[in-house]
Amino acid sequence: MKLILEQVRATRGDWQFSADATFLPGIHLVTGRVGSGKTTLAGVVAGTLAPGSGRVHREGIGSTTLSLQYPEYHVTGATLAKEAASYGVSPDDALSRAALSGRGADDPFILSRGELKWFHLACLSLRRWDLLVLDEPFSALDCRGKKRACEQIALLSPGIVLVCTHEQQHLPRTDFLWEMQNGDLHYLGKVPEALPRWQTAPKAVRTLLSQGCIPANLTDRDLGEALCRIRD
Amino acid sequence: MQDSRLRLFSVLLLSIAAFLSVAGAVLTVLWLMLYPNHLAAALRSRALYLLLSLIGLVALVMTWSGGDGTSYLVRTGVLVILGFTIVRGWSPGEFLDLSVWIFGRKIGFDIGLAIEMTMQGFDEASREWARIGTALELKGIKPGIRSIPPLGVLLIHTRLTRARDQADLLITRGYHAGGSCCPVFRRSKKDIIASFCSILILFIAFFTVRDIFILVM
Repeated sequence: MKLILEQVRATRGDWQFSADATFLPGIHLVTGRVGSGKTTLAGVVAGTLAPGSGRVHREGIGSTTLSLQYPEYHVTGATLAKEAASYGVSPDDALSRAALSGRGADDPFILSRGELKWFHLACLSLRRWDLLVLDEPFSALDCRGKKRACEQIALLSPGIVLVCTHEQQHLPRTDFLWEMQNGDLHYLGKVPEALPRWQTAPKAVRTLLSQGCIPANLTDRDLGEALCRIRD
Repeated sequence: MQDSRLRLFSVLLLSIAAFLSVAGAVLTVLWLMLYPNHLAAALRSRALYLLLSLIGLVALVMTWSGGDGTSYLVRTGVLVILGFTIVRGWSPGEFLDLSVWIFGRKIGFDIGLAIEMTMQGFDEASREWARIGTALELKGIKPGIRSIPPLGVLLIHTRLTRARDQADLLITRGYHAGGSCCPVFRRSKKDIIASFCSILILFIAFFTVRDIFILVM
């Protein structure tokens, strides 16, 4: 299973997007500042946005989906149960995973954006995807929600999972690290070897690296363990 | 057309002309060709063709029942095309300027604000419709007749929620009634020529109708 972006280019006014990349199964963390092109990449990879030039090859990829930044954009059902069914998952399982058991008859729009986001992620996590693109999966979530989302993302392999985010505090276990810089996609390498090359690394990672300590990965636990090593 | 006052004036005259006679409708189409970009944008709208199909259906029924369905189709169809083309030429803030210029700062500002918000709402609804399409595509659901009612309800729901949020925002920002706005209008020679043409078209349409009345008498 492989996703190849071959000289993909897109333009929007003066702004240009360019990507030349190969994504293998695993969790790919795509970071970058606001407006750097993460959402464009997500759209191109998921096939909802046609690139201006270049080609996207999906080898051995059957099921693909994209999680948009705003969860309300996904709503097509009048109730939470119907909404879960629209993803092809069991409403009871989705509601239970989102801690909304017994609320299947509720209107999705009475939920807060954070609750709706969590419900949407719960629905996605109940299916297996060959290619799952998560555009800002942590937006609208509180710290607890972000930690739970990180745990869920870790369970989404063995497909190709792209996590496009500018989140700096809570990150999932990551296999491959990428960075968007002014519209250009850069492959930094496997984690943890790629961490020293990460320009927009979170403060905690930068602090650890400045102390000569490379964390094993990017989860809260990995960063905590690395911190303990410095203290030891 | 840059000057929204002349645009409104021309649209009123052309609407009457297109409604009065087929000649007026045909001349209105020629007038619209003065603004090919807006006309082309209007002709790309799916909603336009949906409306034209409905008008065509009514025209067919009229023809079968002995009426002049062709004339109805041409006149009403052109009216709809005129509306779509003029909306394509609209830019944010124009209706507010126009309304304040016509009705003054108090009621004019309120009417203008309501129209601006409505126009903005149309744009947003169109984007929301596209997003719903994307969501359905991502879920692998093929849109059909059965999916129209729940999606329609969804669209109305989001519009109402947005309207409520906008109302709350206006209150939070201290809006009560009326407001100050200094309308600025730009005018080109083409605007004046086009407006003059719309007067001529109305005259031609009117005289065609009058001739018919004379013949009937």
